Amino acid sequence: MIVLPAKLMAQTDSSAKPEVKEATTYAPLIEFVSVQKNDSSVDLKTSVKAKINGTLTKLAGFKIEFTIGTDSTAKKLGEVVTDSRGVAIFTCKPDQLTTDAAGKLNFKASFLGKDSIESAEELVSVKRARLEITPLKEGSLLNVKVKLIDLSTGTGTAVPETDLGVFVKRLFSPLKLGEGKTDEAGEASIEIPNNLPGDSHGNITLLAKLDENEVYGNLEAAVTQQWGTPVSDELKELPRALWSSHPPIWMLVTFIILMSAVWGHYLVIIIQLFRLRKEEPKTIS
Amino acid sequence: MQLNSFQQQAFDKQRPTIEKFGRRSWMWTIFFLLWIIVGGYALYLQIADGHIVTGMRDNVVWGLYIANFIFFIGISYAGAVISGILHILKVEWRKPIIRIAEMITVIATIIGPVFILLCVGRFDRLHHLILYPRLQSPITWDVLAISTYFTGSVIFLYLATIKDFAIYRDAKLKVPKWRQKLYKILAIGYRGTPSQKKHISISMNLMAVIIIPLAIIVHSVLSWIFGMTLRPGWHSTIFGPYFVLAAIYSGTGVLIMAMWVYRKMYGLYDYINDKHFIYLGYIMLVLGAAYGYFTFSEYLTDWFGSEKWNSEVIHKLFSFSEYGWWFLFANVAGILLPIFIVAFPKTRKPGWIALASLFMVAALWVKRYLIIVPTLESPLLPMQDTRLEYVKYSPTWVEWALTFAGIATFFLFFTLLSKFMTIIPISEFGDKEKAPEKITKPEGEIIPA
Repeated sequence: MIVLPAKLMAQTDSSAKPEVKEATTYAPLIEFVSVQKNDSSVDLKTSVKAKINGTLTKLAGFKIEFTIGTDSTAKKLGEVVTDSRGVAIFTCKPDQLTTDAAGKLNFKASFLGKDSIESAEELVSVKRARLEITPLKEGSLLNVKVKLIDLSTGTGTAVPETDLGVFVKRLFSPLKLGEGKTDEAGEASIEIPNNLPGDSHGNITLLAKLDENEVYGNLEAAVTQQWGTPVSDELKELPRALWSSHPPIWMLVTFIILMSAVWGHYLVIIIQLFRLRKEEPKTIS
Repeated sequence: MQLNSFQQQAFDKQRPTIEKFGRRSWMWTIFFLLWIIVGGYALYLQIADGHIVTGMRDNVVWGLYIANFIFFIGISYAGAVISGILHILKVEWRKPIIRIAEMITVIATIIGPVFILLCVGRFDRLHHLILYPRLQSPITWDVLAISTYFTGSVIFLYLATIKDFAIYRDAKLKVPKWRQKLYKILAIGYRGTPSQKKHISISMNLMAVIIIPLAIIVHSVLSWIFGMTLRPGWHSTIFGPYFVLAAIYSGTGVLIMAMWVYRKMYGLYDYINDKHFIYLGYIMLVLGAAYGYFTFSEYLTDWFGSEKWNSEVIHKLFSFSEYGWWFLFANVAGILLPIFIVAFPKTRKPGWIALASLFMVAALWVKRYLIIVPTLESPLLPMQDTRLEYVKYSPTWVEWALTFAGIATFFLFFTLLSKFMTIIPISEFGDKEKAPEKITKPEGEIIPA
């Protein structure tokens, strides 16, 4: 204990040779997906991690470069820095999209590397396609018609026999409402419940999704419809309870009674002391 | 103010004590200050580097500091409950010892909450407790209860001292002018008229009545911080009375020790005699037996229930590789030793009773530690970080230094206060009083005077 201050203030010996350590490098793991949307834009999502000291660590603050096209025709789309989750998302506008001779979109995400993290890249090659979503109301039944169209040939071609899902957007991740398979016309009709909670106007956002398809990758289409039950997001006054910000009445009453009783006694005593002081005899015998 | 012969005798005996600080008092003061300086350095490190310098981590978030907090609030019961009850019951033999008891109460109530402050991680948000209190939170109850209790303790001590301040004022003590002036202010014009006596009597009775339930509520609230948490070893319905009983018990122990020290230091054998030790020894015996019963009942219930988490804590307390030795010490020194020492006439002597009190008080401090740490080392959810320092709490020198600084502050305040007012209340010896029993030679001391 006595020598601790000295230890804390002690300087390190600058003349000593620093120990040379072999630099350790880490190979990053990149997850790269494309999501084709019904407004003809494409979201390019990357998630970058690396195994550092045995723990899979999300790499935040690293630059990811996105390009489109094959090596000879590659065109840089832009750069995005990974966030705290190690995720970087780039939205590719319709006018930036170019397909190859086979009608495919070829994307590349390049991780440039930094310090002890090595560089790496990942490719995605998908056919150009689009999902169309149409809400249909037949009496009390609510249906969502989803159509999958292949755009790789230039003229839209319906894609049959493909599994699709319909979701509703929620606060965190989308909630699955149902799934279906496309028919000859590339269409699938999926019934959804009519009691979904919506916003204050009853609006819900429906999503049609094709996930991890070998040919088309990920596709998404969204539509907002007034099919939900209106749920007000206004803060209601919380009841008096143990967990709310207002204590139960009995607790408040008990507290006031107890504190008044004690501090009331103190007050009476202080008044007594003031009287005592007032009654000091003028002449001291 | 006119003093009767007994009052004059008591005053003459103690007059030199408050007039002169003395070499011995200076030495003690410097010794305590040195400890406080070491504690100050530890506090600086804790503020500069954060709580990382303590042994507290994610799981064991409470340690020595909270044990000290409960301990000091516990010993404050000496003045509040013991003095209050004896006052209401008009027990005559209480008079020479109530000043010591009330001083213990005030000083312990100042020091105890300081340990809570040492435990606060976000010190900058401390005022939020006042600005945004949640009445449903036991922490809020605690803040309100302790501040109310402290105010009551100060008033109680002051009321019992007004008459003495008037005596000091009129006695023309050889003390600095500022002290004479202060005595005059504190005496608030008391001249001993019948109506003034009546005001003090009414106030003292009111205080004695209110301080007892207040003290019980304060320690119950303290126990509810634990009892209302769903943790093994804490979530118990008897925690309120158990804490209250342990507090009165440890308060009695500290009172006996203080009596023994002051009697010896200032030769107050005529005033604090064997009778006081024996009577307080009887109180200690009864409290010890009741405390033992509560302890047995508490652990038997937990053990018999065989609930997984409770069993884990019980196992830690009984395992000699964990807390077994401490648990044994807490129960032998905290329950059996005081009972046996007071039960046998041969050891029912001031020295032995004071020694038993010393062990008992130490044991009750250990008991508070055992309430807190083993439970926190047995979390209901699996630990995320299993480094040894996270799994097992071990106090650092910073925590020990601040603990000893707290104890040193307690003794320092006691030293200073006993130089400001007489340990034996002068005014308590009224005209109709019997003269204090004349004992010139201490009996039954295990350490010769």
